[in-house]
Amino acid sequence: MRSFIFSKRTLKEILRDPLSYIFCLGFPIVMLVIMTIVDQSIPEEAGMTIFHIDNLAPGIAFFGLSFIMLFTCLQVSKDRSTAFMLRLYASPLKSLDFIAGYTLPVLVLAVLQSVISFIAAIVIGAFVDYQFDLVNVILCILVLIPSALVFISFGIFFGTLLNDKAAPGICSIIITSASMLGGIWMDVDSIGGTFAKFCHALPFYQGVRGARFALTGEYGDMVKPVLITLGYGILVYLFAIFVLRRKMQQDVK
Amino acid sequence: MKYAIEVNKLRKEFGLKTAVKDISFQVQEKTLFSLLGVNGAGKTTTIRMLTGLSRPTSGDAFVLGHSITTDLNEVKKVSNVSTQDTAVAPNLTVRENLEFMAGIYNIDKKQIQERTNEMIQLFSLQEVENSKAKTLSGGWQRKLSIAMALITDPKVLYLDEPTLGLDVLARKDLWRIIEGLKKKVTIILTTHYMEEAEHLSDAIAVMVGGEIKALGTLEDLKKLTGKDNLEDAFVEIAEGGL
Ligand SMILES: Nc1ncnc2c1ncn2[C@@H]1O[C@H](COP(=O)(O)OP(=O)(O)OP(=O)(O)O)[C@@H](O)[C@H]1O
Ligand SMILES: [Mg+2]
Repeated sequence: MRSFIFSKRTLKEILRDPLSYIFCLGFPIVMLVIMTIVDQSIPEEAGMTIFHIDNLAPGIAFFGLSFIMLFTCLQVSKDRSTAFMLRLYASPLKSLDFIAGYTLPVLVLAVLQSVISFIAAIVIGAFVDYQFDLVNVILCILVLIPSALVFISFGIFFGTLLNDKAAPGICSIIITSASMLGGIWMDVDSIGGTFAKFCHALPFYQGVRGARFALTGEYGDMVKPVLITLGYGILVYLFAIFVLRRKMQQDVK
Repeated sequence: MKYAIEVNKLRKEFGLKTAVKDISFQVQEKTLFSLLGVNGAGKTTTIRMLTGLSRPTSGDAFVLGHSITTDLNEVKKVSNVSTQDTAVAPNLTVRENLEFMAGIYNIDKKQIQERTNEMIQLFSLQEVENSKAKTLSGGWQRKLSIAMALITDPKVLYLDEPTLGLDVLARKDLWRIIEGLKKKVTIILTTHYMEEAEHLSDAIAVMVGGEIKALGTLEDLKKLTGKDNLEDAFVEIAEGGL
């Protein structure tokens, strides 16, 4: 119950910042539109499929999740410096309440954002004559949850360690590298070599790959990347909450 | 006689600096106890230890029988604090701030509404109740911050310089509110306004350099120093004239 009340507070704090709408909703939709226009201008013969809407939609949905990291990070780091947060340490709230209170609302936001990204993608699909399979869309949104967990964990981790001045900088580095290494803007496998191997070892590539397989209904191929992402998600989440708990204990000095 | 708060040789060191030096005192239930002292005397540090915001280096204290070192969760349930710094959630409205605070102390839904309305009345927050806290002036935020401590109906209430930044009228109002709480709630108050302590306290302790130099009723302190008002008595004690 207490963690639920703290969650509600976090959700309100995030939703009352207009920037949340611009980045969490506006930006992914704008990127979808722009990249579709780019895709239309690429000649068929080039054989570039990466910006086709069926590849693009899961990629952009994933990209959107990286902004959830930014908001988690900003919220945690902003809170940590306030007298309000310190006073809450004198309340019956336990560290698990704080952790749940940061995780639940952003997880809900993440799913909501994926849903909205796909609604936009379906509308765009109608223009470029692509019909999405609704079951696969829903599956894709579910399959993106482990990736959301990865990003939320990064958000909590950096929010705990950085102040709200440094946080946006570090987050934008991760946002950019996650989208590159994840293979959203380019085909990592066509580059090959050590670079591709490096990408394969990271949760970003696996998260995007799992989502793409889900959307195209290749369920057999989907399982492995999804499990790898989930494993990463759980690991970094545990690590992040460990760091947050320690920092909170240190704040009571 | 039952004590609401019993402090036993409480000590706090920050590296080489000792902020609070093995202080001991008792506060009787449902009385108001003022902690006075110059800047840096250790008042806030003492309150922080009693409320779980800071861990004592050594010593212990009991709040309604619960130890702050071994039973802090119970201590937290029965007390609340208005910290020296104003502490409100900036993007929540006044009403939401109050409801939030009541909620995390597990007050039931119906009572939350009642208590919230009560606090809005008591602190005359009606005209700002739906404004976001960050848009309020410093004094109004201050009042909200104090109301957020009261709404949870604490048995032990800590007010760390509550009237800091309040105008004369708001200060008088707050005095009235505090007087209304006397005989119902155990209160520890810190202040730099001697007339405030004079007016409200049942007992007064004067801290100097982390130690309690004098402790007693207003009359006791006056007699001890041979002065006829608290301000002079305080100066005498704080300057080490004893
Ligand atoms: N976190 C901290 N780290 C190091 N020193 C600290 C810390 N908190 C307090 N101190 C030191 O402890 C001493 C007591 O501080 P405290 O805040 O308790 O004083 P105070 O009596 O509340 O003063 P004021 O009237 O100015 O509020 C000061 O010398 C202060 O510098
Ligand atoms: Mg102080």
